[in-house]
Amino acid sequence: MTVMRDTVVKSLAKITIQGNEDGLIPEYDVLENLLPAALLNSFSERIMAAAPQEKKSMVADGLVRAAYECGYHTGCGIITSDVFNDVVLPMVTEGEKDILRGAFAAFTAWGWAKSGIVQLKAGEKMVIRANDYYEADSGGDGLRAYMLRGLCQAFFDLTYAAPYPDGMDTYVCQQSKGIEVGDPHGEFIVTKKQAAG
Amino acid sequence: MPNNAEHIHIADNTHFLKGSLSLTNITDLVQFLAASYKSGMIHLHKHPAGIEGKIFFTAGAITNVSTDELSGLGALSEIMNWDQGEFQFNPDVTSIEKNVGLSVQHAIIEAAVLHDQRITNKPTSHIDITPGEGSGEMEMNQRDSTTVLNDLLMIPGIDVVVVVGRDGFVIESVGNSSRVNIDELGASLAHAINAIEEMGNELKVSLFQDMFIEYGKAVIMCRPVGDAIAAVTAPDASKLGIVRHKAKKYFEELVLLF
Repeated sequence: MTVMRDTVVKSLAKITIQGNEDGLIPEYDVLENLLPAALLNSFSERIMAAAPQEKKSMVADGLVRAAYECGYHTGCGIITSDVFNDVVLPMVTEGEKDILRGAFAAFTAWGWAKSGIVQLKAGEKMVIRANDYYEADSGGDGLRAYMLRGLCQAFFDLTYAAPYPDGMDTYVCQQSKGIEVGDPHGEFIVTKKQAAG
Repeated sequence: MPNNAEHIHIADNTHFLKGSLSLTNITDLVQFLAASYKSGMIHLHKHPAGIEGKIFFTAGAITNVSTDELSGLGALSEIMNWDQGEFQFNPDVTSIEKNVGLSVQHAIIEAAVLHDQRITNKPTSHIDITPGEGSGEMEMNQRDSTTVLNDLLMIPGIDVVVVVGRDGFVIESVGNSSRVNIDELGASLAHAINAIEEMGNELKVSLFQDMFIEYGKAVIMCRPVGDAIAAVTAPDASKLGIVRHKAKKYFEELVLLF
């Protein structure tokens, strides 16, 4: 037995998530905004378009960083939540690998990205494929799945780096394929961050 | 070595199945007759060379094959590639001499391997790519998975190819997916494989290597490829022997990609 994706998706999809009076969702011990993906895409598209050519790379890194920080803290909330414990942990037989499988099934269940693990070398490398994600139909140039890049890195950090909150920035995620540039799917490769210098 | 008459006992020749090799494939014919547990002999004439061939089988197993020049699997390999000529099925004709003794599927696979070896003059299971240290390693000179899956789809008889993770995530698929709900197929395969692997662990036997599921005429064939599972669906189970043989090298290639 391992974590079965369809079981997780069906179980989590039944949970009703409603915002409180502040428009926030106090789930998973963190606060989440319930806003349309188009808003994020529009923000990303405009800020990238407005950035001068020499600073576009820096702005893109900033968008990935925003997703990463959100993913790192929210992700910790998810994998330690009662919901995750009830639905996913009973199926975990392969340790961290199954936690990651459960996390990507949760992404799918909540509509963040229809994604899953293609390859995993514990603590070293992970390849993720996504058939749908926020920026898949966004405007702009080049590979630009900032949100999923940040989330993949965040979940690998949570799983294999030092315990939360000390494991930030241990790994890095690069996007190698993207639906937004005409590839059949998005592909994301997480590896250990090279030491500076 | 050809069969001679003293090896043949003819019980009843009143009912024949006849046809042209230009209209049917000898592999399909043998599989059809074996599937209905017929016993008998297929007598063939190759045109325009005028060579004769005979395939004897008993209750689903090929027992003896010969042409004017060859016998055994070599002869079957030769006959499988005849595309001009005639055949006639003689029921209940048996051969005393046995030079094959394999199930029809197994004999066809072995004969196909022999044929490929004759053409390429090297073992067909060899692939010109260098394996990595493990299934998770990606090599620079590898073909990408989409190309390999499309090659699998080109094998006659296969209509869907899918690669799924152990959790049921559909990593990639090609083919006639409108007939099949790919996500449902992925989830079902993952559940089935997990159950089979648990059974293997309980029985303390080797890791699962192959799974064939037959649904009437259709068949699903699955194999582990690295940390994932590759599956092909074939609407016509009679093609399973050829599908299995032709798909083997592509499955081996997929092992290096997942």
